[in-house]
Amino acid sequence: MMTLAAVLLLAVTAAAPATPSPTVDEIVAGYVAARGGLKKIQSIQSLRQKGHATAGADRHALVTRLLKRPHWIRFEFTVQGVTSVYVSDGEKGWQVSPFDADMSPKPLSDEVVSEAAEQADIEGPLVGWKEKGHQVELAGREAVGGQEAYKLKLTLKSGAVRYEYLDVKSLNLVRTDSTRQVRGVAVQMQTTFAEYKKTSGILFPRLIEIAAAGRPQRLRIVVDSIEVNPPLSDALFQVSAPVQP
Amino acid sequence: MNKRSLLLFLLFLLPTMLFADEVFLKGAGSISGKIVEQTDTMVTVDVGGGTMGVMMSRVERIVKERHPLDDYAERANKLGPHDLNGWRKLARWAEAEGLSAQSRQAYKQVLVIAPDDKEANEALGFVLLDGRWVTVEQSYLAQGYVKYEGEWMTPAAAQMFQQSAAAAQAAEQAGRDARLAEADAMLAENRAAAAEEKAAEEKARADREARWGPPVNLGGWGYGVTTWPTTNTDYWP
Repeated sequence: MMTLAAVLLLAVTAAAPATPSPTVDEIVAGYVAARGGLKKIQSIQSLRQKGHATAGADRHALVTRLLKRPHWIRFEFTVQGVTSVYVSDGEKGWQVSPFDADMSPKPLSDEVVSEAAEQADIEGPLVGWKEKGHQVELAGREAVGGQEAYKLKLTLKSGAVRYEYLDVKSLNLVRTDSTRQVRGVAVQMQTTFAEYKKTSGILFPRLIEIAAAGRPQRLRIVVDSIEVNPPLSDALFQVSAPVQP
Repeated sequence: MNKRSLLLFLLFLLPTMLFADEVFLKGAGSISGKIVEQTDTMVTVDVGGGTMGVMMSRVERIVKERHPLDDYAERANKLGPHDLNGWRKLARWAEAEGLSAQSRQAYKQVLVIAPDDKEANEALGFVLLDGRWVTVEQSYLAQGYVKYEGEWMTPAAAQMFQQSAAAAQAAEQAGRDARLAEADAMLAENRAAAAEEKAAEEKARADREARWGPPVNLGGWGYGVTTWPTTNTDYWP
């Protein structure tokens, strides 16, 4: 018996170039099904992802990302045994970054809190996008890594715009394009996702590569382990010492 | 490797052969390495690539434990200077443990044994260009990239930053000029101040370039980290 995911995939992929493009709702439904289905995705209460990041010689870090509903996110970045921690509850946040001489909690800037809040959506913004107040439009098809992909324009409730590319065949998210302000200049960021594997019945990318337009450097994150619904204490997401302004 | 260089190499390892500690900071974060000095007010930790000082008032607790640096030293001491695979495995292990400095150290030993080793050259940041291993910076130059405020980019991207900076500077200058016009009597004094300010800006910029490593662009998988920690330990806390 065919699974719902297979039926949805067939429905979407059957929409060959000669036939009308599938609607945004059809594409997103196929994407959700391909990831493991809405029920499974919505059952995620917490996530622990561990990996390592590299950006060429001398640039190696161990990374850990913890997420917990409703929208808490903690990111740890360890270089040469020194661990920096960034935490946000979606509305405010703080950091301890020993290499920056921040040895006690210091508030995160509004810009960084906003970036954290976007990532704290444990399901991903396309899941239930209407209910979340985002807007999605089909902006065409483009080749990503030699494969055709649907290009979706995602306007987040916050107003931030990014483009999500879903592989036409698998409907996996293969690339995200976003814009980030770097020293007052808007820089196009391109994040590609690959090597999808299932954990607890849900697909997660294990290889993430980030590039900025006009730069030769690449940041590569290899996700070594993923735990779905690990017990994560609320204390991990709270300030346990006075915040230094 | 001759006996003298082997001895020097083993002496280099000595600082990591003792014990190791983990300093947990109040709130979050930690520094893992070997405590080289501890007073009532300050603790200084050798993290393998340099030392970091932390005020004791910021420290939640210190746990003394066996550390990967100890394992590294132990494993390195058991390797012969010509054990190519041994040094390679050790380099990979150190990298997986997050010990970048030790990983580099082991890969450098691989290059001593096999100068053209692809994995070691790539791990140490060398790039094969026209049959020759060169630094990544040399390869970027060869590809036409330019360095702007510590970051390699296309000339067009650098120009955008320069224009943005020039526009900001021009706006600042215009404001400064307006103020100067309003207070003509203070012109000379203000000009001197402006020159001083410009010199201070230049110094701050040079300092910033040395202080910061290249940018970290996490692209949606993590946040908060803006630059890689500098390898210049003069700027470590």
